[in-house]
Amino acid sequence: METVLSTSKLTKNFGRLCAVNRLDLEVQRGQIFGMLGPNGSGKTTTLGMLMGVTNPTSGSFTWFGEQATNLTRKKIGAVLEHPIFYPYLSGQKNLELNAMIKGADPANIPKVLEVVELTERKDHKYKTYSLGMKQRLAIASALVSNPIILILDEPTNGLDPMGIAEIREIIKRIAADGKTIILASHLLDEVQKVCTHFAVLRKGSLMHCGPVDDVGKGEETVEVVAFHDDLSHILHEFRGSLSVKTENGKFQVRMREGFHSIDLNKFLFEKGIVASHILTQKKSLEKQFLEILQETQEVKH
Amino acid sequence: MLHLLKIDLKKLTSYRTFWVVCGLYFFTLAFVTASGMEILKWLAGKGAEFGATININRIPLYHFPDVWQNLVFISGMFKIVLAIMVVISVTNEYQYRTIRQNIIDGMSRWEFLLSKILTNGLLSLMSVVMVFVIALVTGMIYSPEIILADVFSDLEFFPAYFLEVFAFLSYALMLGILVQRSGLTIILLLLSHMIETIMKVNIPGTAAGVRDFFPMQSITNLVALPFARYALQEIQDYVAISAVAIAAAWTFLFNYFAYLRLKKADI
Repeated sequence: METVLSTSKLTKNFGRLCAVNRLDLEVQRGQIFGMLGPNGSGKTTTLGMLMGVTNPTSGSFTWFGEQATNLTRKKIGAVLEHPIFYPYLSGQKNLELNAMIKGADPANIPKVLEVVELTERKDHKYKTYSLGMKQRLAIASALVSNPIILILDEPTNGLDPMGIAEIREIIKRIAADGKTIILASHLLDEVQKVCTHFAVLRKGSLMHCGPVDDVGKGEETVEVVAFHDDLSHILHEFRGSLSVKTENGKFQVRMREGFHSIDLNKFLFEKGIVASHILTQKKSLEKQFLEILQETQEVKH
Repeated sequence: MLHLLKIDLKKLTSYRTFWVVCGLYFFTLAFVTASGMEILKWLAGKGAEFGATININRIPLYHFPDVWQNLVFISGMFKIVLAIMVVISVTNEYQYRTIRQNIIDGMSRWEFLLSKILTNGLLSLMSVVMVFVIALVTGMIYSPEIILADVFSDLEFFPAYFLEVFAFLSYALMLGILVQRSGLTIILLLLSHMIETIMKVNIPGTAAGVRDFFPMQSITNLVALPFARYALQEIQDYVAISAVAIAAAWTFLFNYFAYLRLKKADI
């Protein structure tokens, strides 16, 4: 695998406040890398350093294994925080300007406008756009140079549910093209839905880094509904159950390692009980995220 | 280089304020420089009311080679309008945060500054060409006879005028980058001469030579006031090399300070 981005002890202090603290990150080609963290955890500051607008206090980073210059930035499409455009220029002219700066072929402009569905409004001034359209234009500008890497910082911030769904669709479509994407967000659901890898930041420090698929690993919880008066008792008898809880008339069975829903189903069947509902629940990223933040808090206390 | 200039011009040419300000600038510049004889007539009329007679035909305002320095001097007073446009152009980049996106998109900080410096150069050059054409035409009209030697003498005022405008626009650009807010920058720009004058009057007479080294003074020194010659006084009818050297040094420093500031800042 090819390392696209690597940071080493990257640090940024604003006066006495340490916004990013000795951050080590690696992003490989083809990953969709989610950066998670509460507001003010240093996500945007980190991306600002990687994109040359914030000067690091110490530490270093490389893009494509090289020291970053403005030329490396031309190969990256990035939108940090809010969409930024010239309000008095039309969407089309703004993109032409982006293409000129990036040295991109202006022939790409109609294509990216199509991707974000802004073709009809391209000749209107940017300041007349709604927030959702501004966000979409920002994605278009990031795509205009056909970059190898895309950096999106809170791309669905402030959008209505339809806008969020639209942006998420666009991200998935871009990801299907095999681009590397770095996505900063505090929306865990969003990261779990689109990302392959994720990192958790808190107060500028890296708390966790790994594949999203690992999130669900480890013990499982199986939700069961069956018509039997003494179901709770029977479930306790099952060799693989750690604990049994009732929630809204459904039984939540925490399983021992190595046991799965299929084993529980077989067990109930042998007891002459047919389950009307059986569902394996993987641990959500949200749960894991809160656990990670909690663990680190406990360590500190 | 040309590419950077094109980028900055693309930002400006769809900006209505730019056209309005530049239009006003070039219009007033042309109008004022071309209507000197009318102003003289008006002055003569006023003088007549008080019983003084001025024979305006004996004042060779538009005669070669006087016309060069006369018009260049008058034109120099309008550079403040262009400077305000430069301030608006650069402070807009901070207000809209587009400077940040420009750099994210792959401009280096130096390239961003250079694109603005190049536009300053272009605006200065356009001013020079404009004044040259007006001076040439009015000179042709009003000079009693066209002597080529006269037409081609004193042309050094045009490079000096270029430096005068370019130095002042560089100063405006630096102020804009340091202050980042348009209103405050424009006020500081308008007060610069006054602030400098207050500092200069506090310099003891023994060190009077230092005054020529002040930035605003150095820009003013490039082209001396010519009109006193019509009251039969000695004037400086040439461009002093020392004035050029000091003004050029300041121009370099203005742009260098702007660069230092940009390089160190988190944008």
